[in-house]
Amino acid sequence: MVLKIYFPQCCNRADSGLMVGRWIAGHDSAVVLAVIHYPFIPGQVKRYIQQIQAQSGVELSVLGSWSLPKEGQEGMESFLRDLSTIFPQERWLQINREFGKTGFTCEVLTQDQNGGTTQLEAKKKKKVVEEGDGEAGGDGAEEGEEEKVIFVHYEQKKVMLSQLHPIENGVPDPKADPPSELRQMFRMVANSQPLFFLDKYDDGPLKTTHWQSEGREGSIIVELLKQASAPLCLLISWLLSIWTCFCNIRIFSLYPLRFLSTKLSTCIQLSYRTEHMRTLSSAKPAAGHTQFMRKANILVSLLVDVALGVLLMSWLYRDNHITMLANALVPAADHIAKELDELLQWLMGAPAGLKMNRALDQVLGRFFLYHIHLWISYIHLMSPFVEGILWYGGLSACLGLTFALSLLSDMVALLTFHIYCFYVYGARLYCLKIYGLSSLWRLFRGKKWNVLRQRVDSCSYDLDQLFIGTLLFTILLFLLPTTALYYLVFTLLRLVVVLFQGVLHLSVDFMNSFPLFAVGLRIFRSFRLAEGVKFRVLCEEPGTALHLMMEINPLKYGTVVQTYRTPTYSCYPKDSWTALVKKLFVGELIYPWRHKTTKTD
Amino acid sequence: MGPDSVPGPAVPWRKVLWEQQPFPDNYVDQRFLEELRRNEGIRQYRYWTVVKEAGFVGQQLSCVAIFITLWLYMEQGLLSPESLLWTSLVCTLLGYVLYQALTSHDESGCELRTRLADLQSATIFLSFTFGFSPVLKTLTESVSTDTVYAMSAVMLLAHLVSFPYAHPSPPGSLSLNAALFASVCLASRLPGALHTFAMLSCALLVFALWPCLLQRLRENAPGHFNALCVGVCVGGICGLGSQSPGGAVLLALALGSVILLCPLLLVRLQRHKDNIQGPWDEAEIHEDLSHFLH
Repeated sequence: MVLKIYFPQCCNRADSGLMVGRWIAGHDSAVVLAVIHYPFIPGQVKRYIQQIQAQSGVELSVLGSWSLPKEGQEGMESFLRDLSTIFPQERWLQINREFGKTGFTCEVLTQDQNGGTTQLEAKKKKKVVEEGDGEAGGDGAEEGEEEKVIFVHYEQKKVMLSQLHPIENGVPDPKADPPSELRQMFRMVANSQPLFFLDKYDDGPLKTTHWQSEGREGSIIVELLKQASAPLCLLISWLLSIWTCFCNIRIFSLYPLRFLSTKLSTCIQLSYRTEHMRTLSSAKPAAGHTQFMRKANILVSLLVDVALGVLLMSWLYRDNHITMLANALVPAADHIAKELDELLQWLMGAPAGLKMNRALDQVLGRFFLYHIHLWISYIHLMSPFVEGILWYGGLSACLGLTFALSLLSDMVALLTFHIYCFYVYGARLYCLKIYGLSSLWRLFRGKKWNVLRQRVDSCSYDLDQLFIGTLLFTILLFLLPTTALYYLVFTLLRLVVVLFQGVLHLSVDFMNSFPLFAVGLRIFRSFRLAEGVKFRVLCEEPGTALHLMMEINPLKYGTVVQTYRTPTYSCYPKDSWTALVKKLFVGELIYPWRHKTTKTD
Repeated sequence: MGPDSVPGPAVPWRKVLWEQQPFPDNYVDQRFLEELRRNEGIRQYRYWTVVKEAGFVGQQLSCVAIFITLWLYMEQGLLSPESLLWTSLVCTLLGYVLYQALTSHDESGCELRTRLADLQSATIFLSFTFGFSPVLKTLTESVSTDTVYAMSAVMLLAHLVSFPYAHPSPPGSLSLNAALFASVCLASRLPGALHTFAMLSCALLVFALWPCLLQRLRENAPGHFNALCVGVCVGGICGLGSQSPGGAVLLALALGSVILLCPLLLVRLQRHKDNIQGPWDEAEIHEDLSHFLH
C-alpha cells in the first residue's frame, strides 16, 4: 500500500499546527488543505471546521499534526500524540519536518476501533523510493507491514483555479465510472474556497496557513464592475425586449419579408447578436464552468468586434472616404457590365473555335445582353442614392465589424444580382437538358426508370413515343454544347462571387465563434485550463519519503478552440468537394447560404 | 480407364461417395463412356429454308440502301421533296389498305388498334416532324460533314445489327431509334426545311412501318413475301447503281454473301458440329416436383 499525501506547497514552511483536510474516498490518499497553528482551543477548531463545512459543502476533518520545530522547541512528540485523542480519527498523520532538511517524515497512528482505550501503534516511516527498483531500505525501518508514503506537493492556487478537462476522445462513459482520484482532489480543493478567505492578518481565534490571495485591494475594480453590471444587464434586457417586440410585429412574418430576412446575412447576424445579448444579459449567474466560459467568450468577442467596428468607422468617416467609395462603385458596376457584354459578344461568335449551334447561340446571347442592359439602367437609376446608402450602412459598423462585413456581403450579393440571374438561367437550361438527355437516352435503348423499384427496367414503347423521343434526343444532343458553354461561363462567374461571399461569411463566423477569452486564459493563465498533471521528483534523500511536485499540464490550443467555440448558425460546408462538383456537373443550383441554415436536407 | 486404377478386388466398384471402397477417389470403370451423348436436340437445316429466312436480312440491308439512295437524290436536287412526299403518301395509303386486308384475314388479333388511334399517331408524326424540321435543319450546321456521315453510318450499322429479324412487328427500340437518329443527321444536311420533312417522313415509312407490313406478309402470305424480298433487293441494287455503281456492286456482294453464301456455310459446317453431353455435365433441375407432394 502506498499512502499519498497531497500537501500544499505554501504550507512547507508553516509553523507547527493541525492539518485540516480530507481523506479521498476509495483511495488511500489524503489532501491537506490548510494548517491551523498553535495555540488554539480545540472547541474553536471544531466549530470553525463545521462552519467551513457548511459553507463549502466539503467534509473537512483534522488529518493530523504538522510540526516544524523552531530552534529550541523540543519535546513536542508527546503533545502531538495527545492531540489525536482530542480529534479522534481512524488514522492520525503526524508529519515532521526537521529544520534545515528538505524531506519530511511521517508517522501514521492507527486507532483501534474496538475498545474504549486507544491503543496507538506507531510506525516510523522512512521510505526512499528510488527510481527503477523501489528498493525499500533505511536505517531502523522494519520490513514487512510498512506503508510507503509519497508526498505530492501541489500549488494550491493553481489547483483551486484550474478546471480539469475530461480527456477528449478517450474512453467514454464518464457517468459509469466514479470520478478519478485526481478529479476528486481537484474538485475538493476548488470547493473549499471559503477556507482560504481567512486572512493571515485577520484577528481571530485561529491562525492558519494556506494559499493567500494577493490582497483584496486589486479586486476593488472588479467589485465595482460587478455592482455596475446588474443595472447594465437590466437595461440591456429591457432594450432587448423592446427589440424583440419590434421584431415580432406581424408585418415581418409576411412572406417576402421573412424570406428576405433569412437570406440577408445582415439579418442573420442581427438575430444572432440578439441571442448573444440575451445570453449575456440574463439575470442568472453562470451555472457552471462551461456556461461561464461561454458568457465570457461572447463578451470578449463582442467587445473586440465593436472595437474593430469603431476603428473601421473612424476610418470611413474621415477624409470623405464614403464619397470616394460611392463614386468608385458605379463605374465599377458599369465596368463589370461592360466586361460581361464583351464576354457575351465573344460567346455569340465562335468562342475558342467551338462548334456551337448558331441559332441558339444568338438567341441566348441576345437574351443575356438584354438582361445586362436592364441591369445597367437599374444601376444608373440607383446611382444618386448610393452615397446615402453607404453613409447609413457605414453606421452599422458601430455595432461591430461583423455587421459591416455582413452588410458588405449583402451589398455584393445585390450588386452582382445579374450574374446570379445569368447563372440561374444557364443552370436551369443545362439541368433541363441533362435530365432530358438522360431519360431520353434510356428511351433510346428501350429502357425506362422504374420509380417503384429504383432501377432501370426494359420497356416496350409505342412507335410514336419512340419517334418523338428520338427526335427530341437528337435535338437536345446537338444543342447541348451551346448550353453547356453558357452554363460553364456563368458558373465560373458565379463561383467567383460565391467565393468572395464565402470568405466574408467565414471571417464573420470566425469572429462570432472564436473563443477569445478562453485562448487569452490559456496564454496568460495557462493553469486555469488543465488537461492533466505531470509529476516531478522533488527530492530523493535516502531516509525520507518520496517528494513529488504536481504540475499542471495546460490544455492544447486546438482543444481550447474546439471546446469553447461558440456554436454559430453556420456550420462549415456539409457538401464534400466531390458532391459540389457533381452538383455543378448536373446543373443543380449552388448557394453560399445553403450551408448556413440549420435545416438539413 | 481411371488413371491409376488398381486391379480390382472382389468388390465391384459403385459410383457412390458415401461408402468406403478400396478404389482411389478418381477411379472410374469401363462403363464411363456408355452414357456419352452427341448433338442432342439438333435441328437439321435445309439450305433453301435458311435462304428464305436470310432473305429478310438482305431485304433490310436493301431498305437501308434505298433510303441512302433517296437521300442522295434529294441532296443533289434530282428529287423534289413534293414528289417524295406524294409518293410516300400513296405508298403509305396502299400499305395501310394492304395491312388492314391482311389483318382481317386472321381473326386472332386481340388488341387491334382502331383507325382513330392510327390517325392520331399519323397526325402526331406529321405535326412534330413538320414543326421541328426548321430546327432540325439548323441542327448540324456547325458540325462538320464528315462527322455527320460517320455518325449516320455508325447508327445505320447499329440499326442493322440490333434489328429484331425474328419478330420485327413492333420494331425494336434501339434499332428504330438508331435509324431515326441517322436519318435526322442525314436530313439536317439537306438544303431546305421541306426536304428535311420529306426525308424524315420517308425514314418513318422505311424503318418503322415497312417492317410491320412485311412481318404481316410473312405470316399470312409467304409466297408473296419471298417475291417481295427479291424485289426489294433488286430495287436496292438498281437504285444504288444509278448513283454509284461501285456501291451497287458492293451491295450486291453483301446481299449475295448474306443470302446465299452464309446459309451455305451454315449448312456445310453443321456436319462438323460435335456437342457432347454426359454424366459429367452440371446437374440440371427439371421442375418435376410432383414426388415432393406426397
